[in-house]
Amino acid sequence: MMRRLEAHPGEWLDRSARLHFRFEGRDYSGFAGDTISSALAAAGVPYLGRSFKYHRPRSIYSFANHDSNVLFQVDGVPNVRGDVTPLRDSMQISAINTFGGLEHDKARVLGRFARWLPVGFYYKAFHSKRWFPRWERMFRILTGLGTVNLAAAREPTPKRYGFCDVLVIGAGPAGLAAACEAARLGARVALVEESFRVGGSALGRLAVASEEQQTLQALIDTAVNSGAIELLPATFAAGYYADHWVALADGRRLTKMRARAVVFATGVIEQPAVFRNNDLPGVLAASGALRLLSRHRVAPGNRVVIVAANLEAYAACLELHAHGVQVAAIVDLRSEHEIDPADEAARTCAALGVRIVLAHAPYEAVPGSDGRVRALDIAPLVADGRVDARRVERLDCDAVLMSVGWAPAAQLLLQAGATLRFETGLQQFVPDVLPPGIFAAGRLNGVYEFPARCADGRYAGAAAAAHAGFGAAAHAPVARTVRRPSHAFPIIDHPEAKNFVDFDEDLQIKDLENAVQEGFDSSELLKRFSTVGMGPSQGKHSNMNALRILARARGLPVEALGLTTARPMYHPVPMKLLAGRGFEVLRRTPLDAEHAALGAVWMPAGHWRRPEYYARPGETRAESIAAEVRAVRERVGLIDVGTLGKIEIYGPQAGEFLDRVYTGNFSRLRVGMTRYGLMLDESGVIVDDGVVARLREDAYYFTTTTSGAATVFRELLRLNALWGLDCALVNVTGHRAAVNFAGPASRALLQTLTDVDLGEAEFPFLGVREGRVAGAPARLLRVGFVGELGYEIHVAASAAAGVWRALLAFRDEHGLRPFGVEAQRILRLEKGHLIVGQDTDGLTDPIQANALWAVNMQKRFFIGQRSLKILLRRPPRQVLTGIEIQDSDPLPRESHLIIEGGAIRGRVTSVVRSQTLGRTIGLAMLAPELAVPGTALAIRIEAGATVAARVVTTPFYDPSNLRQKAQAALAVPPPGIAVIS
Amino acid sequence: MSAVGGATASAVALELCTAREHWGCKGPRAADWLAAHGIAPPSRANTWTVAGEGEGALFVARLGASEFFVEGAAEWATDGGANGAAGRAVGDLAVHPAGVYPVLREDWCLALSGAACDEILTQVCNVQFAALDPSEHPVIMTLMVGVAVLVAPQLAPDGSRRYRIWCDPTFGDYLFHTLRALVLESGGTATGVPS
Repeated sequence: MMRRLEAHPGEWLDRSARLHFRFEGRDYSGFAGDTISSALAAAGVPYLGRSFKYHRPRSIYSFANHDSNVLFQVDGVPNVRGDVTPLRDSMQISAINTFGGLEHDKARVLGRFARWLPVGFYYKAFHSKRWFPRWERMFRILTGLGTVNLAAAREPTPKRYGFCDVLVIGAGPAGLAAACEAARLGARVALVEESFRVGGSALGRLAVASEEQQTLQALIDTAVNSGAIELLPATFAAGYYADHWVALADGRRLTKMRARAVVFATGVIEQPAVFRNNDLPGVLAASGALRLLSRHRVAPGNRVVIVAANLEAYAACLELHAHGVQVAAIVDLRSEHEIDPADEAARTCAALGVRIVLAHAPYEAVPGSDGRVRALDIAPLVADGRVDARRVERLDCDAVLMSVGWAPAAQLLLQAGATLRFETGLQQFVPDVLPPGIFAAGRLNGVYEFPARCADGRYAGAAAAAHAGFGAAAHAPVARTVRRPSHAFPIIDHPEAKNFVDFDEDLQIKDLENAVQEGFDSSELLKRFSTVGMGPSQGKHSNMNALRILARARGLPVEALGLTTARPMYHPVPMKLLAGRGFEVLRRTPLDAEHAALGAVWMPAGHWRRPEYYARPGETRAESIAAEVRAVRERVGLIDVGTLGKIEIYGPQAGEFLDRVYTGNFSRLRVGMTRYGLMLDESGVIVDDGVVARLREDAYYFTTTTSGAATVFRELLRLNALWGLDCALVNVTGHRAAVNFAGPASRALLQTLTDVDLGEAEFPFLGVREGRVAGAPARLLRVGFVGELGYEIHVAASAAAGVWRALLAFRDEHGLRPFGVEAQRILRLEKGHLIVGQDTDGLTDPIQANALWAVNMQKRFFIGQRSLKILLRRPPRQVLTGIEIQDSDPLPRESHLIIEGGAIRGRVTSVVRSQTLGRTIGLAMLAPELAVPGTALAIRIEAGATVAARVVTTPFYDPSNLRQKAQAALAVPPPGIAVIS
Repeated sequence: MSAVGGATASAVALELCTAREHWGCKGPRAADWLAAHGIAPPSRANTWTVAGEGEGALFVARLGASEFFVEGAAEWATDGGANGAAGRAVGDLAVHPAGVYPVLREDWCLALSGAACDEILTQVCNVQFAALDPSEHPVIMTLMVGVAVLVAPQLAPDGSRRYRIWCDPTFGDYLFHTLRALVLESGGTATGVPS
């Protein structure tokens, strides 16, 4: 049983601060400086969690933040990592993945059904369409870890950018040495360490030579006191992205660190031995046990057996002995001739009277009544994976420590584009080819001895600093370790299995062998079929052994198989760190406050907010919108169109430029006139549209769609740089406001506010004039998007409110209504005007959109012309057509399909119920043969119902365009206003 | 150097600068035209200068090779100083001189100052402002919380760093309130709340 030892110098505890907490409904206590796991271990809690699939009792394994079985629900927060989360007073902690609590977990019976739950069973069991809804409900209950509190308050975190010359990841001996050396050469260094304290696992160990401890402490003191080193403890590198951009996560926020060079000193991860019941509570990694012991003074047990295959195992034995913990035996997988006779640790252990059993392997860990290990059966090792089961010996113990090898913590290095190669001597993958600016040091680099690790760190630090422009790389490279720190095959078969390779996913040796047998025989396929390495630890403890099993199954060397792709994140990162503050751009027109004062009901339009309509007391939404439409048709309305893109172009070749980017002819457009502009891409697809106004010979002003403004301007700048024409572009989208003042009374009313002569002869339809409106300099464009006599008035943003209020003053006496986006949508659809991006998609060309009238194919060149020539030679696949829809409830909506003979023949792109026309109208993309006026259509709406429609011509309203040209017999002008003909 | 931490209290201030006028010009003859109006433009791209002194001083930034941004006191004066020169230039722009094109500028202007302003900026922009030397008068065109901005690092009279930040007026409210929230969270102050 684990227990707390007495205080000792170097421990991380503050024993004067006792903390009280509850775990699974029982009260416990620990100390400040404890983590959740260490406090529970010290309290003698036999097991801390249940495994994912079989719900087996589990406890600490690595104590290195890699264990999925020490995740907890803490104060309502799921999946808290017990190894690295500091204990706090009054914490309420429970295990995750249990049904009815940790001790009485109802799902523990699943272990008895293991035979029917082999690897990949779900692919073969849950595919029935009829039964799947039932399975899905079961999955949602059984799977997943932790419980999300959907009512939890949003916690913005202060995500930030960071900058340094050299980023060093890992603050063990090699990382510290690298950071100090880089700083000495003048670089600004950021040193990242995922533990609370720097120094690595050797710091504070009693059995580590004092010279080593002193060297380490000196490095720490140098780093702490250096003004050039930014120390970042309790921070891990979550992912490496391009250009030495590394995401650093601490408990509070994500830092996006940009470095000029990166040193990876991320070390190695201790690997488990695989044998029956190697997952029992009390069976743990030797390095994890030593971290518990030196930092938190928790002994792994009273009588410990060490499974060994390297020098580190003997060092662990000496450390335990120094702390007064009995080591009953060391079971070494190696034979005598594989052990270095000069190794002092091994000789010292023997001299202490520790029983050392060579060439033996763990065969089975035996559980006690409390679920923890109570004995270890060992047997002679006869070959890779096999023991002589006739000669099993039982060793009584209450803890088994495994020290059989390491795998490099190379995931980040791989993300940085490094390649690894397998060193047979080391039995480890080591860096092979590193991209520029990337360096590796320490055990990650296959350098194990302490002095060599420091030297390797200095070498890497100097090289990184030199790469960043500081000093020269003067140190000599360090040779890799020649001894073998990792066993080639620490995996033992057992007829009754339960020899776990992946603790996260409850995968046993036979699961992987069965997967290979089914044909999933590459590392990538094996991973995907078996899920090995896909749990919270992301294969840190399982990938290497899985690779060994795959190699054995295929009769290939490990190095022939390759590694799976490493991707961010290295450890799971809380979503709140990724979300940061959640900046959401909100763009407001200069008239935003005016709309708010008028009771605007807002709607999003990209980054903008726009009035959908203006609410009035006593009116429903539908009534308000209908009234706004009616006002425009019968009197006058006012809408803010300031979200439109607005661009000016000046210069002798401005017209030439516009001729190239639009389909129409603009170099021959008369000064003082406007023309509709259609913009295509190289494949002839419509990308934007607007109105182009010629102000002077060498000056134009044109609009774009709201959503296209930024993209169009960027593309025009690119084209201008490419073509080198003598013209200049100015984006005034946000610097100018614009309103549309439209309706039969618009001319007469506007004339009272402007010095521009609005007479029909002086200012014809599609004209543009500059003057003043309500005292402000303005551009007036006489355009007809809503199908009535009307004027777009463009002014500087600072003048917008004054102009708006002046126009709004016509409300009381002349029945003006401001109108919003919804009313505008109805008005424009009644005219059959298309909206790019709604009635067109990513493949619509002008032929399909019935917009060839806007295309001048006779021009020398315009973007998309060549493609259009090709497209014109073949019939279009669909055409945009007007439709009239039988009234129904519900109405068809955009994207509802038109079906004929069981086939899709088109889709609805716009639809409205028009009060003006007394019917429901729309636009649809249709197969050309159906696009004949009078053709009957069937539109499929929800639940398979259909609605009848027929093809009609457009415009639906005022087909001769008399109203927008002010040629219709108009309503009587408002009283007191002279009619200007 | 200390470990990363938040901005210390009262070490940062944000101000919405009103009562300033802005205009711009661009084109192949824009630099000469400015000089002819007594407004000496910066010689290097992406730098700024100050023409004149005191309240009537003009801030002149060169954006790339041939575009200029000018900021002066509210309402161009007609005096003989720099501000008066700006007023006359604006008037001349309206009659379309050859090779010089007007750039309408209705920017919002913010000023961020104080010892912790660099820390605030690390939360909103990926430019390493702390590494810039204000004495070189750099002008940075970048994105800040998704908004295209013009930034001019400067030195306040007491030698501390400060930043003038300009943006499109339709983003102004969002940018100001976003920065304001960060500044207040850090214990700083924000003045000039938009109406």
